[in-house]
Amino acid sequence: MISVKNIQKSFGHNHVLKGIDFSLNKGDVVVILGPSGSGKTTILRCINFLERAEQGELTIGDIHVNLKHATSKEIHRIRKRSAFVFQNYALFNNKTALQNVMLSLTVARKVPVPEAAGIAKAALNKVGLSDKYDAYPSQLSGGQQQRVGIARAIAISPDVILFDEPTSALDPELIGEVLGVMKQLAHEGVTMIVVTHEMSFARDVATNVIFMDGGVIVEQGTPQAIFDNPKEDRTKQFLKRILLEEQ
Amino acid sequence: MNWEFIYRVGIIEAIKGVPVSLYVTFVSLLIALPLGFLCAITRFRRVPVLSELISVAVSFLRGTPLVVQIFIVYAGFPSILNYMVQTFNWNFDAFSINPYVYAFFVFSLNVTATLTEVFRSALSAVGKDQAEAARSVGLNAFQANCHIIIPQALVSAIPNICNEFLNLFKSTSLVYMMTIQDITGKLRIAASAGYNYTEAYIVIFIVYFLLGFGMEKLFQRIENNMKRYKALPQT
Repeated sequence: MISVKNIQKSFGHNHVLKGIDFSLNKGDVVVILGPSGSGKTTILRCINFLERAEQGELTIGDIHVNLKHATSKEIHRIRKRSAFVFQNYALFNNKTALQNVMLSLTVARKVPVPEAAGIAKAALNKVGLSDKYDAYPSQLSGGQQQRVGIARAIAISPDVILFDEPTSALDPELIGEVLGVMKQLAHEGVTMIVVTHEMSFARDVATNVIFMDGGVIVEQGTPQAIFDNPKEDRTKQFLKRILLEEQ
Repeated sequence: MNWEFIYRVGIIEAIKGVPVSLYVTFVSLLIALPLGFLCAITRFRRVPVLSELISVAVSFLRGTPLVVQIFIVYAGFPSILNYMVQTFNWNFDAFSINPYVYAFFVFSLNVTATLTEVFRSALSAVGKDQAEAARSVGLNAFQANCHIIIPQALVSAIPNICNEFLNLFKSTSLVYMMTIQDITGKLRIAASAGYNYTEAYIVIFIVYFLLGFGMEKLFQRIENNMKRYKALPQT
């Protein structure tokens, strides 16, 4: 139900994505792994049109768009059906937690305020922040801010949530609370594409793991296939190094 | 020191001049705020041609002394206008233009120039992630500006706006050059009768200090109120 075809993207002479294809079904959790600079984040940014790809197709449900030529109306439709969770949270600094979650409902989707407040409170409750409705981002810890970021994403009930290294900016002891929320969402059947370095999350939660390097997908499969029985040398090398570091 | 001049004449004249000074200050600021903001957005968005024109104009206004600008506008412009009136036989008195018009023109343009830079740097101080997040949750450019970018930019611009307001208030003491009787103008006239210039300038000094101090405190309160979301204690 969600698929991308042949995403190509360069920054200047740097060919970052050299034709990326993958697809996922409703309820799937796809984890994208790979060394830094392999283009993982760029995929998500292209899907959300934060970067304009030079080529590629995107299908979300019944919406089919060309990533290069999409009109602003098409982009708006895609963004209504997908949500983005940023590495650095990117909460609106001048809004409280509740306003952060409500804004996309009241302003972009014209949901009446009382109804939007109800949805936003439910979303914040779900991520365990029922006591922080009126807190500004500057009053929240990194983990709490990222959970508001996740609440902002789930409030619009998107078809897919894109997580761009959601725990990379967090202190080690705060990573758990964010991963916990993500696991819970996965169990509830929320469709997600997650770029992360958290191997245990990939192993335990992913339905599908993609390993990329140098702008191409090297290998993809179930977590068992990738972690226990990788076929490509590059994947073996990467996992060996990462898993060694983790021990 | 002629104390009698200070409290018999000086203070009364100064108080008469205060509304004039405030009038010129506020009208110039009210013209300059929206104009400066529009210029800042034009510069920030790098609108072709307009952006460059504004940049040149700002350099001119900021790079030349205010006194010289006042002379050119107040003395130069009517002469040129008068020349044209005579050449083309217009039925118009070039020297009849209200001096306040010149004052508003010079001061509002000057403040616009500074505010353009103030707003521009404030807009670029808002993190890029804020605009990205706004777009990503489905806000269009206009909505993102109204709800996220501009409110945050204004908060970081407030200290500079206050600064500029105080500068403007002080610079309006030059309007006496255009025959407008503000605080300085009133006292210079009063002083000339008995050559009490030292006393007159002491009064001017005190009046500007008191007003300036009051405004500074007022702005501090506004600023603290507006940036309350920034540095709150952890809940």
